[in-house]
Amino acid sequence: MDPKHSQQGESVNSDAIASLVAALEPDQLISAKELRSAPRRRLTATEKVLFWLLRFYLIFMFGIVIYQVWTGARH
Amino acid sequence: MTGPKTARNSGQSPPQRIDHPSDPSAIVITHEDIDRAHDRELVLETRARRGFWPRARLLWLLVGPGILVMLGENDGPSMLSYAATGARFGIGFFLPFVVLTFLMACVVQEMTVRLGAATHRGHAELIFERFGPFWGWFSMVDLMVGNFLTLVTEFIAIRAGLGYFGVPPAVAVLGAWLVLVAALMAHRYWTWERVTLAAAMCNLVFVPVALLSHPHWRSIGGAMLAWKPLPGGLTPDTVLILLADIGATVTPWMLFFQQSAIADKGLTTRDIRFGRIDTVIGAACAALAAVATIIATAALFTHGMTAGNFEAGEFAQALQPFVGRWGASLFALGMFEAGMVAAITISTSSAYAFGEVARRPHSLNLPFQQGKSFYLVLLVEAAAAAALVLIPGIPLVYIVLVVNVIAVLAMPPALLFLYMLVNDRELMGELVSPLWANVLALGVVVVLVGAGILFGVSVVTPHALAIFGGK
Repeated sequence: MDPKHSQQGESVNSDAIASLVAALEPDQLISAKELRSAPRRRLTATEKVLFWLLRFYLIFMFGIVIYQVWTGARH
Repeated sequence: MTGPKTARNSGQSPPQRIDHPSDPSAIVITHEDIDRAHDRELVLETRARRGFWPRARLLWLLVGPGILVMLGENDGPSMLSYAATGARFGIGFFLPFVVLTFLMACVVQEMTVRLGAATHRGHAELIFERFGPFWGWFSMVDLMVGNFLTLVTEFIAIRAGLGYFGVPPAVAVLGAWLVLVAALMAHRYWTWERVTLAAAMCNLVFVPVALLSHPHWRSIGGAMLAWKPLPGGLTPDTVLILLADIGATVTPWMLFFQQSAIADKGLTTRDIRFGRIDTVIGAACAALAAVATIIATAALFTHGMTAGNFEAGEFAQALQPFVGRWGASLFALGMFEAGMVAAITISTSSAYAFGEVARRPHSLNLPFQQGKSFYLVLLVEAAAAAALVLIPGIPLVYIVLVVNVIAVLAMPPALLFLYMLVNDRELMGELVSPLWANVLALGVVVVLVGAGILFGVSVVTPHALAIFGGK
């Protein structure tokens, strides 16, 4: 069977699978990503503070952009 | 994630083990896996051969995401920023400055090469898995808002570029959207990448335009070697153009796109060196096009022409006396190309990110039926941006102005995620960033945050720029 015409999730013969497994790294297969998801990381206090600081920075700066557009439009 | 949905949607039982080649019957193979494996087989065969030509062929097989991301970022608003830079400030300060921004882009994008090759996962997927949905959604909203606004500006550039040739706006915008659809028709990452690469290389049409403007080579050499001060010092205008030029080279969508494209292309840790070369080639080509645009429009600055509110078509018309009809036509064509390639790559980055977060199949190797949500996000986002450009009375000039600024402002949070992921030993193993790479990355964050603060000062209290030596 021509692997090119295999449908999604269709079982293919073992020769074709062996060829695929040889060409791809094991965790490159779509089904591998199901089995091995990256575990959640616990953020340290410093990391949380940094995340929040940058979030406030972004919100504040977006406010400035909106102000600039508003004043620009008025002129 | 893609895997479980793919398996469930096909009506198969959930996949078992995948890392036992000795037990292949347990593997669920998807169409996407098969297409990617075909590409990888070619890479493995070529790598096994010795000599110059096999190495050159290997490079040909492995380049793509880096060149696409860099030339994709030379998009409509970016080329307009470079054109405005040359026309309003000449070459003295900005030629070396723009080269520096591309070096910054190389530092940032190299991290996505390592991350994509080491994990085989997209950027959004990793952020959601490692930091959880709370922070993940923040980064997604940043990306989607930025991408949509940028897409609008791409269609503005397409409309303006083709408008120079007398193409009506509706025809230009609809035609561009159809080109975007056509690029996806092969349902094959490799074909899509090569077609888009060919289009992206047309970004270099700005080089002949620069040559036609008869540049003063000694001045260009002098500008590159002896970095001249910012003309007029720091003013709200120069700060805006500084930010626009930075935003023309480093933006959040680039992080998401290159990492996802590397995973989709199937690059592995053995290909990282080629991924870096790919990124550097892309940065060199993009920097060349950017510098050429500044040099071309510097003719307007030299002749004292005002170019404050020029759009793409007006730049081409204004340049005609200096570069001739062919040069002006090439300039307008370049603007169209810049918008077109960026519309393709930016909408693809949105579709990848959506698929990774919504755990839907997300690959350019998917047939339409299997990747419906992926293709629909891509096409609907582009269609909405295209339609917006056609609404009469929309303040297009303001959208173009703020898009690059928004990109700079959104970069520090995006870079923090990237920095933490690429230093995550659990994910990266021995491929975590070395000290020098971390120092460079932190340097980029400091520059971006500093530029953002400077912008804030210039808008809220412009007179305070005097503190920084401005007027």
